[in-house]
Amino acid sequence: MPLRKIGELTVPSDPAYLEKVDQYSDRLFKKLPLGKNDLDDIAIAISEAVNNAMVHGNGLDADRNVHISYYLSARYLRIAVRDEGEGFIPDNVPDPTESENLLKVSGRGLLIIRHLMDRIECTILKNGMKMTLDKFFTEG
Amino acid sequence: MKLKSRVTDGVLVLEVKGKVMGGPDAAAFQDVVKSEIGNGHKQFVFDLGGVDWMNSSGLGILIGGLTTIKNAGGQLKLANVTEKIQSLFMITKLVTIFDSHKTVEDALKAYQ
Ligand SMILES: Nc1ncnc2c1ncn2[C@@H]1O[C@H](COP(=O)(O)OP(=O)(O)OP(=O)(O)O)[C@@H](O)[C@H]1O
Ligand SMILES: [Mg+2]
Repeated sequence: MPLRKIGELTVPSDPAYLEKVDQYSDRLFKKLPLGKNDLDDIAIAISEAVNNAMVHGNGLDADRNVHISYYLSARYLRIAVRDEGEGFIPDNVPDPTESENLLKVSGRGLLIIRHLMDRIECTILKNGMKMTLDKFFTEG
Repeated sequence: MKLKSRVTDGVLVLEVKGKVMGGPDAAAFQDVVKSEIGNGHKQFVFDLGGVDWMNSSGLGILIGGLTTIKNAGGQLKLANVTEKIQSLFMITKLVTIFDSHKTVEDALKAYQ
């Protein structure tokens, strides 16, 4: 089964919409061969990527949207989150586990995404930055 | 996210439920903590047993709460930290920052 699109959603740059995204994803993932633990991991990762797209990518600009697309193949689920911003270089982001950063209230989203998803890719496009998050289905 | 607070043995127990994902959650949480400090409370327990999951915003909310309470001369203990939250604490190396207890009763006992 080739990678095919199973859903898409566009939301304004307002974190109050995170709940809407979560509800949409929940419904879409119902029939997938994923357990509760994986589903929670994916939901957390999506909330991180979408929140980043709204806040950092679009600067919470009400005129800019966040576009979320969902793809499915036999082996994995892919979620692509695109903002309308300039993009960034993930390797240049400070390490939140360094002791001088430990008590900061932010800076952990990317670290969490990396731990919860199986494959992450960032692409800077003409019309924004796209982050794809993949979760593989485990055998049996 | 849903919040419910009660006072047991003079300790402010804040029950957190649902998904803690940011957006309006951070302000709502901070409001409750600040107003309870304003009410004179110094000893807090955050009961996380009802949390489905939280993300980095949720972790930020917990750290913000801890800092606010400490700056007011108070103390914070966590109770019922779920496996999911515990694994986030490990990933982010926040395990050592929080004083976690198995149950609310244990956390309250630790205040006696
Ligand atoms: N879509 C994006 N566009 C531009 N910059 C981004 C984007 N996503 C992340 N960043 C940059 O990477 C940094 C780290 O992101 P990360 O999600 O780890 O932390 P945060 O969003 O600052 O805080 P937290 O997620 O813990 O609330 C951000 O501060 C920002 O500079
Ligand atoms: Mg973030």
